[in-house]
Amino acid sequence: MATMDSVNRLPFATAAANTALSSEPSDIEREVIEFFDQFRNPLLRYALSFGVPVHDAEEVTQEVFLSLFRHLQLSRSRKNLRAWIFRVAHNLALKQLYANQRSTAKQASDWTLAEERFDPSPNPEEQLSSAQRQRRLLSALCALPQVDQSCLRLRAEGLRYREIAEVLGISLGAVSISLTRSLARLTRADQR
Amino acid sequence: MVNKDSHPSDEELLLAADAELPARSAIQVRAHLAGCWDCRARMAEIEGTIVAFSRVHRQSLDPQLPSIDGPRAKLRAQLGELESKCEGGSMWQRFQFAPGLRTAALLCAAVFFCVLGGTLLLQYSTIRGANSTAVIFEAGAEPDHSLTPGATRRVTISDVCSMTHEEVVAEVPTSLRQKVFQEYGIVNANAGDYEIDYLIAPGLGGVEAISNLWPEPYTSRTWNAHVKDALEERLHEMVCAGQLDLSTAQRDIAADWIAAYKKYFRTDRPQPSLVSQHFKTEMRWHSYVKGIGERS
Repeated sequence: MATMDSVNRLPFATAAANTALSSEPSDIEREVIEFFDQFRNPLLRYALSFGVPVHDAEEVTQEVFLSLFRHLQLSRSRKNLRAWIFRVAHNLALKQLYANQRSTAKQASDWTLAEERFDPSPNPEEQLSSAQRQRRLLSALCALPQVDQSCLRLRAEGLRYREIAEVLGISLGAVSISLTRSLARLTRADQR
Repeated sequence: MVNKDSHPSDEELLLAADAELPARSAIQVRAHLAGCWDCRARMAEIEGTIVAFSRVHRQSLDPQLPSIDGPRAKLRAQLGELESKCEGGSMWQRFQFAPGLRTAALLCAAVFFCVLGGTLLLQYSTIRGANSTAVIFEAGAEPDHSLTPGATRRVTISDVCSMTHEEVVAEVPTSLRQKVFQEYGIVNANAGDYEIDYLIAPGLGGVEAISNLWPEPYTSRTWNAHVKDALEERLHEMVCAGQLDLSTAQRDIAADWIAAYKKYFRTDRPQPSLVSQHFKTEMRWHSYVKGIGERS
């Protein structure tokens, strides 16, 4: 949890923020912040995986937690909130993607990332081989349908099959088939 | 699921690795793996790909993640503001503990809204034509985009233009309708009040998924489900006539279908014939209300 000092040094620690911080946060507010601490990075990674820029992905993530606050304030269902927040993030990221019309830039940005990543392997040969492997996998990943990519990303973030089905609005069987098919494709790409 | 003597499929191996198999099938897979090197090798291959993918997933995205401190402080500030705006909500919670007061206030509110509703209807009857309807509040005419951003499948122009009428106007299954109502927090919905509509119509490549469906009220006076149906038909015709790019049609209808209607029909208001169905219902009720007023 950030201390008051560290918060006040931030550029957007406005008067409103200070007022809010000076009063005791409600139980719901505390709960939302706890969720934020636990899920901000996984959600941000998931939003980024759609190819939206970092600042947009950060906005999507903020909006998810504001929606969660309103959801809890209205005493709506608390059943599987992890799937709920990923579903909201999925929908908002898609909306952002439509708005930005940057779907074609996605592959390019992923390629750039693959080029820039470094693996802390001891020698340059291993480093090169690791970078080539990453490139192959990213290329195969980008060629997958969006639903298959989302299944893999959500599973990588620790969601169970039932939760993935709920986030994407597909059946449990479809999740299992999608993951099997995608992993087979990635394996083939990796072995090339 | 898994026969003791046959080799498990890749899907079963993955389900076993992810602890998603029923207990009995999981035991069978484990027993099979203990005795079958081929399947162990396949399992290791799957696990190896999972490890490689997880690494790529993290390494390609983690370096982009800014520190959590700033966003957390921003969220706290926004929550603080929301909290202060919602003090009315906490008053309501206190209010719930006073049943006598609550009943009296609810009665007052009911009377107030009846009077207000009657007044609005009487004013409505004196101003004829679609122009008057534009000023009436249009709750629910647009979906909540955080719940319904729209979703499409991969289709070609020839796919969408060769669809049968039944495919274009496909009925949404009851179970999915219930999920949509639930998602929008609508309880005891009267089926006649809403059309569970596709944001991006199947005729434009939209899919039957919860992220592409929302409860569109028939009760909206101007921008109602009939008007949206007309827009869908217009966009479908334009796409099939080569006058409009399919992705543009999908994007425009998903972003703001009312703005899309205005753009493609070149008008600020829907055609009067499209709102007339709703008008008829409203006017019948108004005549009834007015009749009561004249008799008393």
